[in-house]
Amino acid sequence: MKLIYKTARTYLIMSVIIFITAGVMLFFVLTEVMNRQLEEKLYYNKEVVEKIVKYDYPLTTLEAEKMTPQERIKYPRDTIIIKDTLISHAIEGVDIDQFEKYRQLTAYETLQGQRWRIVTRNSLVRNKDFIWVITWTTVVILLLLLTSLWILNTRIAKKLWKPFYTNLNRLKNFSVQDQNPIDLEESSIEEFSQLNESILSLTQKLQSDYNSLKEFSENASHEMQTPLAIMQSKIELLLQSPMISQEQTQQLRSIYQAGNRLSKLNKTLLLLAKVENQQFSIKEQVDMKALIQKHLENYEDFILNKNITVHTALDDTKIQANAILADTLLSNLLSNAIKHNVQNGTITITLTDKFLEFSNTGNALTQDPVNLFNRFKKASTLKESLGLGLAIVKQICDVNKWHPNYTYKDKLHKISILF
Amino acid sequence: MKILIVEDEEELLNSIASYLKSEDFICEKATSYFEAEDKIVSFNYDIIILDIGLPDGSGLDLLTVIKKQSALTGVLIVSAKNSLDDKLAGLDLGADDYITKPFHLAELNSRVNSLIRRRQFKGDEVIKFNEIHVNPNSKTVTVNEQPVELTKKEYNLLLYFITNKDKVLTKESIAEHLWGDDIEMADSFDFIYTHMGNLRKKIKKLGAPNYLRTMYGLGYKFTDK
Repeated sequence: MKLIYKTARTYLIMSVIIFITAGVMLFFVLTEVMNRQLEEKLYYNKEVVEKIVKYDYPLTTLEAEKMTPQERIKYPRDTIIIKDTLISHAIEGVDIDQFEKYRQLTAYETLQGQRWRIVTRNSLVRNKDFIWVITWTTVVILLLLLTSLWILNTRIAKKLWKPFYTNLNRLKNFSVQDQNPIDLEESSIEEFSQLNESILSLTQKLQSDYNSLKEFSENASHEMQTPLAIMQSKIELLLQSPMISQEQTQQLRSIYQAGNRLSKLNKTLLLLAKVENQQFSIKEQVDMKALIQKHLENYEDFILNKNITVHTALDDTKIQANAILADTLLSNLLSNAIKHNVQNGTITITLTDKFLEFSNTGNALTQDPVNLFNRFKKASTLKESLGLGLAIVKQICDVNKWHPNYTYKDKLHKISILF
Repeated sequence: MKILIVEDEEELLNSIASYLKSEDFICEKATSYFEAEDKIVSFNYDIIILDIGLPDGSGLDLLTVIKKQSALTGVLIVSAKNSLDDKLAGLDLGADDYITKPFHLAELNSRVNSLIRRRQFKGDEVIKFNEIHVNPNSKTVTVNEQPVELTKKEYNLLLYFITNKDKVLTKESIAEHLWGDDIEMADSFDFIYTHMGNLRKKIKKLGAPNYLRTMYGLGYKFTDK
């Protein structure tokens, strides 16, 4: 949920609660105030009646009767009773509830030596009406308030938060591999400019760390090349010596093989680092079809050995790419398709100017295909495999902004690359 | 043939020199830019093996000096960098080939030989090993003056063996020579065995003795000794 809507929702809930409480309170307070007012009026009426009785004013709507004997016993002294009472206003032929609430003052008093009962009453506003009015008023005010809040939130807040959202988007698109520092929109709001500063220093640190890591792995690989070359050349010279025994030969061979494996691993890691460091930036027209055919020829022995049938559907496709990388990509894809193939299997290579697809027969992966393009995630138990082939494919695709995709269906592994 | 090896790692320099000397090359060594420049301007070399990363200067600058001195000299660049920029810059400045560390000595020797053929003989020279004659220009082979039909791989194999005669060639070095650097398949050793068998048969059929020796567990040796 967006921040704007979250705050708006809180405002909304709070306002509803406050308005309901205020409405209820208003009802009670107003009723109380009006009752008091009414009572004052009733007292005043009583005075009027008293004066009428005393000075024989003509009676109008006011009642003043002589007390009944029972009343005289019940109220020996002057008494005033104020209560609410319902009086029927039933109109003939209209069968509805016509009782209306009245506030009624009944006074038992002695006037001119006579005992009088004075009743004076005033109609009350009905509770129902009262609640109605208050509720409606509350709802209207509430709606007005909410509408204005909404406008405030969406219009003004959006304007206020705009630099935030712009920068958020830029942050989303940020890549550590990018060499340029992230470009953030300036804001006059202190919090935002502080945030920008933090993001800027954080991303700069990230980039410089990433760069030094990349440089480190590249340099480390470079520095290993020369010692490896010395090792390898010394063993090769030693192997030429007629003086070494059979047993020593075997040991030398083991060292030699390990050294070879190490240098291959090193070369591959170096290649990965270089691709990542964008050191293959020179692009040219690469004839993909010719390259595929070249590699098929080079791998002929391996294909024949497994008795693999190769189907090709190759369009004359020339793509803009680095020649060395395109070469490495195809070599890796093909060797991958051969290596993980089965005896008497098939390989189908499709090339158009939109995509390249290698599909080969093979056993299902034993691990999550998500990891397939990761380094050292070997799908097979082939011990000669370095587990870097598809990582290189991925890296090459990344720098060229191509999209590699893997699927496994009907015992067919498919790796397709969208250009 | 006179070769100058420019390499700042003395141990590697000695290895290269030792291997090439056994191939009857005259080798001179230089371990720095200064020393190399001095030798280049003073003497003539057929081939210069040049490391790009020298402590007191870039091998690429030496390349300009070499080309000014003698256009006939073949230059083979050795680099730890395997960087395209170096390679392109090197080839642009007139280097003939490029090899990345670590490399097999047999491969280096094979490159040096092919460079000499290209440079000095324009590819017309016929490589002879007793009754076996290889013409690198037409890529044809004759045994006892009878032509032999070889596949591309068999031809490359034979040429590699003849250039590195009397040397133990490891399977790894052969596999890389035949299929390239990025070969990563164990099967390749079996294929070497198959190609080897075919090559042996084809040569033997035309009356040549079996020069191919299997060095148990290691690789092969091409020798008449």
